[in-house]
Amino acid sequence: MAMRELVSGGAACAEPGSSSSNPLGALANALIGSSSKTQERLQEVPTSTNRVSNGNIYEGGLEPALHGSEFDHPPHASSQGSVFLQGFRSSGQDAFANAWDEIQNPQMPLFQGRNNLIPPDQIQFQPHDGPPQRVLSNFLHSFVNSGHGGLPFHPTPLPALGLSKGEKQRIRDRSSIMARHLFADKNEDFVNAQVNALLSSLDIDTDVQARVTPPGRSQEMENVWNDSQSMQNGPRDADGWIAEYDQHRVQKGDPNVWAQSFEQLHGANGWASEFENEQSQIASFGQVRGASVPSLAAMEQTRVLAHTLAQNPDPKFKSSKFLQFVSKMSRGEITFEDNQVKSSGLPAPGDWATEYQQQFNGGQSWVDQFEREELFRGSAGWVNEFTTAREQQGPVDDQWVNEFSKLHVQDWADEFGRQVGEGILGDDSWADTYDEYLNEQTIVKQQSVTSKGVYVFSKLNPYVGHPNPFQEGQELFREGLLSEAVLALEAEVLKNPDNSEGWRFLGLAHAENDDDQQAIAAMMRAHEADPTNLEVLLALGVSHTNELEQAAALKYLYSWLRHHPKYGTVSSPELSDSLHHADVARYFSDAAKISPEDADLHAVLGVLYNLSREYDDAAESFVTALKLRPYDYSLWNKLGATQANSAQAADAILAYQHALDLKPNYVRAWANMGISYANQGMYEDSIRYYVRALAMNPKADNAWQYLRISLSCASRTDMMEACDSRNLEVLQKEFPL
Amino acid sequence: MASNTSTSTTASSPLKAAALMEQMKLHLATDAGKALLKKIGLVYQLNIAPKKIGFNEEIYVVDLKKGEVTKGPYEGGKPDAAFSFKDDDFIKISSGKMNPQIAFMRGAMKIKGSMSAANKFTPDIFPKPSKM
Repeated sequence: MAMRELVSGGAACAEPGSSSSNPLGALANALIGSSSKTQERLQEVPTSTNRVSNGNIYEGGLEPALHGSEFDHPPHASSQGSVFLQGFRSSGQDAFANAWDEIQNPQMPLFQGRNNLIPPDQIQFQPHDGPPQRVLSNFLHSFVNSGHGGLPFHPTPLPALGLSKGEKQRIRDRSSIMARHLFADKNEDFVNAQVNALLSSLDIDTDVQARVTPPGRSQEMENVWNDSQSMQNGPRDADGWIAEYDQHRVQKGDPNVWAQSFEQLHGANGWASEFENEQSQIASFGQVRGASVPSLAAMEQTRVLAHTLAQNPDPKFKSSKFLQFVSKMSRGEITFEDNQVKSSGLPAPGDWATEYQQQFNGGQSWVDQFEREELFRGSAGWVNEFTTAREQQGPVDDQWVNEFSKLHVQDWADEFGRQVGEGILGDDSWADTYDEYLNEQTIVKQQSVTSKGVYVFSKLNPYVGHPNPFQEGQELFREGLLSEAVLALEAEVLKNPDNSEGWRFLGLAHAENDDDQQAIAAMMRAHEADPTNLEVLLALGVSHTNELEQAAALKYLYSWLRHHPKYGTVSSPELSDSLHHADVARYFSDAAKISPEDADLHAVLGVLYNLSREYDDAAESFVTALKLRPYDYSLWNKLGATQANSAQAADAILAYQHALDLKPNYVRAWANMGISYANQGMYEDSIRYYVRALAMNPKADNAWQYLRISLSCASRTDMMEACDSRNLEVLQKEFPL
Repeated sequence: MASNTSTSTTASSPLKAAALMEQMKLHLATDAGKALLKKIGLVYQLNIAPKKIGFNEEIYVVDLKKGEVTKGPYEGGKPDAAFSFKDDDFIKISSGKMNPQIAFMRGAMKIKGSMSAANKFTPDIFPKPSKM
C-alpha cells in the first residue's frame, strides 16, 4: 500500500475515522491542485474574518489553477494560480530529479538520532519523467510524508526553478500555512523549520522581507496576505527548531506517535471528519458569504487557539476535554450565543450544513411561502382562511376575526397605504417594503451574528504591516480619531492576538464610537487575555448594561469587585451563578464605606444603579465620582446618559456638553445628544447631532436608524433617500451644526 | 437626593423590554410625552415573550390616553390594539431597526384589534435609550 496512494487517493473520499492521510493529500492537492474540495479548504485556510469577500479574488485567481488535473488547465494570464503553475512548467525536469536523489539518500548535516525515524525508502514518489509539475508535486509530497513520519525535511539544493518572486512568495505562504495545519500538534519551530527546508530547496527567501508586493498584485490581495501572515505569525529562525527538535525527539521515536496524537487530539472524529466538517461548512458558507463571515472568524480564532494549545506536547493535555472543546469550537460545532455555549448538536456534518442553510434561507423560503399565499394579489384567501377558522376560535378571537372580516380588504389596504403615504412608516409602497424586508434580512443576519460576541475585522486595513501599530493606535485614540485608532489597533491585535491592552483599547475605541457590539467582542478578547483587568471588567459591565443584557452586566460588575485588590474581600467567597442585584449593590455600598474617595468605585456603582434603573442613586454616584475626577469625559457621558434615561433631558444635554468639551470627537456623546433632543420632540435639532455623530463614525448603525426616525418626524422625507443610501455628504450639507 | 429604591414593577424583569417600559413611563410625564397623548390617544397592550411568541409573556399596557404604563393585562376594557412579539424584536421595532410593517408581514409581530390603531404604533412613540 503505497503512501502515495494514501496521499493522493485519500483526499477524494474522506471517510470519518480514516487515516490521517487526508491532510497530506490536502497539502499536496492544495499546492498542486486537483479537487475543488481542497480548493475550498485552501480558501478557508489563510483567511481570518471577513476576508471571504476578498476570498472571491482568490477564487477567481485560484480556480483556474485548482480545478482539473495537474496537467492541463487553461492558461489565464491574470490569475495568480496559473502563473504559479507556469513557473513549474518552465523549470527543467532534471532539477527535480536531483532533488529526489537527495531525498532518497538523506544526508544528516544537522541531526542525530535519525535512526529512530522512518527509513527513507518508505517514502515513495513518482518517477522523474513526466511534466515538471508532477516532479515538483512529488517533491512536495515528500515534504508532506516527512511530516507524517516525523522525518525532518532537510534543505536540498535545487537548481533555479525559474520561479518568480511572486510565485515564490505564494509557495512560501501557502506551504507555511498548510504546514501549520498539517503539523498542528507539533512545535511551532518544528513547523517553521520544515517549511524553511522546503523553501530553501526551492530557493525561496524565507525572510519577512518577502512581504514585498510582487508585481501585478493588487493592494487588496497584499493586505489580505499580510493579514493572513500576521495571523499566522510569520516564520522565525530555524535555530530554535534544533533545540526543540532534540527535546521532541524522544517522543517522535515511533512514527505512529504523530498519528496517535492526532487521534487523541481530535477524539474519535479524526482529521477526516474535521476536514469534512470544514468542507461542508465551507460549502454552505460559499452560499452565504456575507452572513457567515463572523462565524468563520470565530472558527478561525478558536482554531488559532486550538493550535496554540496543541503545542503543548503532553498527550494528556491533548486529549483533555478543554482542548476538544476548543477544537469543536473551531469546527463550528459549538457556538457562543449571549455568553452561553450552544452546541449545534448535529451528528453529521452534512446535516449541519443543511440546517445552517435552512436557517439562513428561512427568509427566502418565507418569501416563497408568502408569494404562494398570494398576500400580495389579494387578501381574499387570507380573509377566508380567517372566517373559516372562526368556528374553532374562542369568543375573544371571534370578535377580532369578525372585525377583520367586516373590514373590506380594500379599505384596509387603503388605510395602510394612506398611513404609509403620510410618511409615518416611511414613504414605501408595498413593493418597496418588500425590498426593504429582503435587505433587512441580510442586515439582521449580520447583526445577529455579530451579537454572538465575535469580533468583525475591517476589510481593508492600511495599518497592517505597520511597524508599531499599538503605539500608533493609542496615539490616534488620544487624538480623538476613533475610527483610525480602530484600524491601527486591529492591526495590532492581528499581529499579537494575546495583547490584552490592544484588545482593551480596541474595545474602548468602539464604545466611544458608539458601537457596543464590537466593543463587547473586543473586550471579551481582552478579558480572555487578562481576566483580572478591572478596566476591562468595567467596560464589559457598561456595554452590557447599554445593551440591556442585565444578567451579563451584573456578572461583570460583580467580577470587578471580586478582582479588586482592596474590595475583593468584601464580597462573599463563592461566586454564585445566580447573582442578585440587591446583594451586589450591598457589597458595593460596603466597599464605598471602606474608601469613599475612590472615583472608580463610585463609577461602577453608578453603572450598577443604572442596571436596576435606580436613576437617582446612579446620578448621585456619578456626581460623586466627578467631584473626584472632574476631567473624565467618560464619567460626564455616563452621568448624562443616566439623566437622559430618567427623562431629565435638559440636564443630560448639559452633561453631554461637558463631555464634548473634554473630548470633541466623542461620537457616543454626539449620538446621545441627538437622542436627548429627539426624546424631547426637538427633531430638527436631533437630526443635526445625529449627522455630526455619523460624520465621525459612518458605521454607527444605531444613529442611522434614529436619524431616519427623526427625519420622518420632522417631515423631512425629502432627505430620506439620502439617509437610506447613507449619503453623508448631502446630509451634512443640509443639516450643519 | 433621597435614595429611590426602584418601586417599578419592571425592576425584577429579565426582559429588555422592561427597561424600555420604565423609560416610557418616565417619558410620558414630560412635555414630549404629553404631546404624544394628544397625537395618538390610544391604548396599546404589549405581550412580550422572552423567546417565543405566546410563551412566558409579560404583558404591559401603554396607555396613551391617560399617560400611564402598567404591567398586566388591560383592565379598563379592550385595548385599541394588542401586539405580541419577542423581546428582541420589540427592541428592534422600537429602535427603528425593524419596520413594523415588515415585522407584521414576517409574523414577528402579531396584531389584534383596530388596524388603524396598529398603524400608529411606530418607533417614534418610544423614547430612545442613551448609552453610557
